[in-house]
Amino acid sequence: MNTLIFGLIIIISLFIFLKLGKIKASKKQLNRDNRIKWRRNQNQSLNEDTDNSKIVEGKPAQISDQSDE
Amino acid sequence: MSKHSALNTFGRSGNPAFTRNFNLAGAGDIALEERMTLDGAVNKTVILLSLCFAGAFIGWNTPALTMPALIVGTVLSFVTIFRSPTKAGSTAPFYAAFQGVALGGITVFAEAQYPGIGIQAIGLTFGILASLLFCYKTGIIKPTENFRLMIFSATMGIGLLYLVSFVMSFFGSGIGFIHSNGLFGIGFSLFVVGIAALNLVLDFDFIEEGAEQGLPKHMEWYGAFSLMVTLVWLYIEILRLLMKLRSR
Repeated sequence: MNTLIFGLIIIISLFIFLKLGKIKASKKQLNRDNRIKWRRNQNQSLNEDTDNSKIVEGKPAQISDQSDE
Repeated sequence: MSKHSALNTFGRSGNPAFTRNFNLAGAGDIALEERMTLDGAVNKTVILLSLCFAGAFIGWNTPALTMPALIVGTVLSFVTIFRSPTKAGSTAPFYAAFQGVALGGITVFAEAQYPGIGIQAIGLTFGILASLLFCYKTGIIKPTENFRLMIFSATMGIGLLYLVSFVMSFFGSGIGFIHSNGLFGIGFSLFVVGIAALNLVLDFDFIEEGAEQGLPKHMEWYGAFSLMVTLVWLYIEILRLLMKLRSR
């Protein structure tokens, strides 16, 4: 009897998960600004590089066509 | 200084399986059929769950295999997390099968003491899975960076507490309240069940965004594996909670 009930629960659960899992999340869930950025780990090293970059203050020098010479 | 500097220091996710850095660079260069999809991740989760149930059937009939299966399953989980997520496709099915054998044995032990507890624990585990999946898909629960930091901290805290309790048990002592059936012990178990359940939301979000970003195909196995790790943890904690309640 136990095995039968276990089996039924398992089959129903798998079926529900299979159906519900494949539905795409709502726009309310996907289109928001405060979503977790799972890729930030990868980009972290990039951010660190930019943090360490030297910032030169003052007016930027204009590049003209003659600057190549 | 970054607004979420603590996250940068301690990691990004509550689930240890997600604290690794993934090689996601150039996801846009991957061919369409080589990209992670939602359907693929769900199918692979169902494969792992089926293997877990098959293992549980073996463990149910041969409880002597519980400890060896638990050790092998734990080693396989560490191999999958710390070696390489790209190999998740080859290690995750074995992890699910061995953990299934261990869970089957543990359930037999619990059933012998409290008849009917196994069905209650399975029902609650899948009930929580289905309801949280619904809440996530509809946007009722919206995971954010702060949410992840909170779950990560709580998960690490629980892990550390269990580790200290495990080490102390070798010296004949332990942290009594986490195993007691008093109000504090039940409250602690409820808290742990809550944290384990909320880890599921992070798993859903990782899979959903992975599919959206077009991560490599092998991440389907990794996402499914992470979901399995959380489900196994959730089942064990629910079983512990029910045992505490029934022993009162």
